[in-house]
Amino acid sequence: MLKSNSNRPIFDSAQTDDKSDRHTERSRSVSLFLTTVLVLMLTTFAFAQVPAGYKPVKDTTAFKQKMEAQSKLVSTLESDFTQEKYLSVMSEKIISKGHFHFKKVNMLRWEYNDPYKYLIAINKDKMYIKDNGKVSKYDINSNKMFKSINEMMVNTVQGNLLNNKDYKAKFYENDKFYLLELSPLQKGAKDFLKVIQLYINKVDYAVDKVKMIEPSDDYTSIDFTNRKTNQPIADEKFIIK
Amino acid sequence: MKNLLLSSFIAILFSACHFGHYSRLTKTPTESISLKPIFGDNFNSFLFKTNITVYGKDYSGLLVTKQMSPQDYRVIFTTELGMKLFDFEFKDTAFTLHYCVPQFNKPKLLKVIQKDIETLLMNDLKKKAFEYFSDSKVLYSIHKTKNGKLDNYYFIEKSSAHLVKIEHAKKRRKKTTFTLSNYQTDFPGNILIQHHDIKLKIELNLLKK
Repeated sequence: MLKSNSNRPIFDSAQTDDKSDRHTERSRSVSLFLTTVLVLMLTTFAFAQVPAGYKPVKDTTAFKQKMEAQSKLVSTLESDFTQEKYLSVMSEKIISKGHFHFKKVNMLRWEYNDPYKYLIAINKDKMYIKDNGKVSKYDINSNKMFKSINEMMVNTVQGNLLNNKDYKAKFYENDKFYLLELSPLQKGAKDFLKVIQLYINKVDYAVDKVKMIEPSDDYTSIDFTNRKTNQPIADEKFIIK
Repeated sequence: MKNLLLSSFIAILFSACHFGHYSRLTKTPTESISLKPIFGDNFNSFLFKTNITVYGKDYSGLLVTKQMSPQDYRVIFTTELGMKLFDFEFKDTAFTLHYCVPQFNKPKLLKVIQKDIETLLMNDLKKKAFEYFSDSKVLYSIHKTKNGKLDNYYFIEKSSAHLVKIEHAKKRRKKTTFTLSNYQTDFPGNILIQHHDIKLKIELNLLKK
């Protein structure tokens, strides 16, 4: 039965005395307050999602300028790397090790040695793949996928992805690292990549670790060790026969 | 006309070779060596350096298999750089496609790769009825079973008791050959899947188990 002067919804109609009314009002306020807190919390998580142990970088312009200045000082780069592939259904990670060489402009030799041999080399507009002793040569501009592999690899090594318009960048830091999170904006890339995380050390602004996280949260992480900067590297290193 | 005759003759000769392959087998009443599943029931993961060549296109990467429960396997193929190309699940006789990049998302190609992997996982082996054969040189114990419209032949080498070859044949014509070689403690180090009616070849080289 509804009271004639009531605007209350029908499910409150059984509570007719004043005490009950006050109780209901109080419950409403409490639940409204809790909902607001919950929404605020969720919003904070959804929009900020600051990685644990990191805080947002306040002056991103200064960071970008410093990154660019440091990258200009690098003419050659070589390093060992350890790649870990995490697949949620597997009990252990797939670990591959190798070595890479980079020389300005746009020459990269990315070589796996353990537990298999596989080599990708980029030499300006040419790409070489050596697999099972067989060398295949491609024109990078002939294939959209090769072009994006090239851009991705060269920019990752150089830490240049922050100027790429195909990605939305977020900047975080802790005592030792800047953490740059790049989310792809293009639909094709979004299908297989959720975010790229670049861990840039604060000492020399070099990329120490790259983590590529897929939409399923499976990821590939690459750690760089034994880095050598500006040591002479012959151009022949980037021509594969 | 002459060319037609010649090519017909070559065609007959060619098919005769295929027919001959199976007609030289002698039926035996029982199996001399039992057929065991390649992957067994050990719940380990296996990692293969893998090359898939389909109509002239090469896809190389790492294929990982993992047994989740007695009749449930997950098979994932990624590039060397870590990009996932496909993610399959084989549970009993059911197949689930968890993920696939557009390059592989072609129904006919997926079906062929799915069937090839099913052949290796041997999930339905216990449900199959077998006939047993021996070759003329008595080198192999051969197990034959029906697989839809196809006949599957399993060649077990008598000297090593290793499964060294699986052939799929349709009306005695060879369609697919699986060659298993370079055994390391009862598991093949190399598996080569060669299709004879389509341009598809899959090479699996064991890296880790």
